[in-house]
Amino acid sequence: MILKVIGGIMILSACGVLGIAAANKYSLRPKDIRRFRASIQMLETEIIYGCTPLPHAFNNISAKVEGPLKNFYSMISDELNGGCSYNLDTTWSKGVNKLVGETFLKSADKDLIAGFGKVLGSSDREDQKKHFELFYIQLKQHEEAAEEERHKNEKMYKTLGFLSGLVIFILLV
Amino acid sequence: MNHYKIHEVLKYMPKEIKGMIEKMQPLLLESMEEVRLRQNKPIILYGGGREYIIDKNGQLVFDPRNAYACTLEDIKNAVSLITNFSLYSFEDDIRNGFVTIEGGHRVGICGKAVLENGRIRTFRDISFINYRVARQVLGAADKVLNHIIKIDNSIYNTLIISPPQCGKTTILRDIVRQISGGIPSMGFKGKKVGLIDERNEIAACSMGLPKNDVGIRTDVLDGCPKAEGILIMIRSMSPEVIATDEIGRNDDAGAVLDAINAGVKIITTIHGSDIEDFLRKPALEKLHKNLFERYIIMSRRQGVGTLEAVLDINYKVLKNGLTKERNL
Repeated sequence: MILKVIGGIMILSACGVLGIAAANKYSLRPKDIRRFRASIQMLETEIIYGCTPLPHAFNNISAKVEGPLKNFYSMISDELNGGCSYNLDTTWSKGVNKLVGETFLKSADKDLIAGFGKVLGSSDREDQKKHFELFYIQLKQHEEAAEEERHKNEKMYKTLGFLSGLVIFILLV
Repeated sequence: MNHYKIHEVLKYMPKEIKGMIEKMQPLLLESMEEVRLRQNKPIILYGGGREYIIDKNGQLVFDPRNAYACTLEDIKNAVSLITNFSLYSFEDDIRNGFVTIEGGHRVGICGKAVLENGRIRTFRDISFINYRVARQVLGAADKVLNHIIKIDNSIYNTLIISPPQCGKTTILRDIVRQISGGIPSMGFKGKKVGLIDERNEIAACSMGLPKNDVGIRTDVLDGCPKAEGILIMIRSMSPEVIATDEIGRNDDAGAVLDAINAGVKIITTIHGSDIEDFLRKPALEKLHKNLFERYIIMSRRQGVGTLEAVLDINYKVLKNGLTKERNL
């Protein structure tokens, strides 16, 4: 009897954890987008008010953020400063690819962010400001879509995980 | 020295073009003064008064049709490199038509001007780029220093007159270095020099530190408009000598006048090929009346940095480089 109870608890918790992991994919994406957006706001401040050249600006931001974003900005800054990059667009895309691999951002987010690298730094301040504003709107849309998806899926996957554990348990007993 | 200089410039060129130019003979490469990129046109280099066209393997060619033609991508990447990937932080420089890169080298750019209220706001579609290799020549001012220095350990207000590309900035830089450092062989003690380096060419500051040697008693106001800079210098750093490059506007003249009236000595330059060119500039009218005590006139007749003449306050020739006596 004791064995049955222990086995049951193990099955239930394992399935529960699986469900939470599946749900995380949805619940963490909006957070990642928000975090990224906050870092882009710092970048805008650096560009519009500080007029800081991008390699320095990236370096400054990398000191203020944490986790994968920190790696993202410091990698780009290092490449631009190290003189091994001849083109911001390619370096930025490379960084974005890596960032998407380390976070819960989707490939749709990747395309949007990578596209921003084409306009970043390539015009005067007034123009850059417009690009930033447009980028915020697009990021916001992605965030809302991600939020909606989370709403739909997060609870479902969590319950599903737990319930499937229960089903297996009942079937086995 | 110069070998090192051209490599400073090459760092700001797109990878492919850098590769091509680096394949040139080292001796030839060292002598380069200008590298020109034009969209869909061959890369042309100038050095030692000669022109060189190269193909994609870095070989010299005579027929421009065999040369490597710059692509739109090359030009874009070049612009992105010279502006440190940040066009917005060079807005003012671009409006003036050039950017100064690390090492004090100038990169001229041309394209479609975007106007706002009749004034240039920025350049769009940049398609012509000219890299100019700047070099510091220690001792460039040796031949004129004895005319600038007064007996009482002071100096004369000096104006250097020279067409572009004749070593005007080079000689100014060396004058600043020697006046600031002091010249033991002439018994001249160093003076406090205030250098207003509007275009970052004389001292070539990077992160606030001069990359060129401008002497130990020199304060550099980097990237500051001349007229304002001169006044700030007088107020804040109590200089004995103020040096600045290429005055030309009305307010520059006013500020120079203020400095002279404040008892500060001035060393500056203008574009022109002789003293008449200076006297013809209406914007500098305030300075025409015997304010400068020495005029140094330069050309490139016998190579960059040829000294044509030194005139005194009454335009009398003190030293004649090449030409026959010229009295006004």
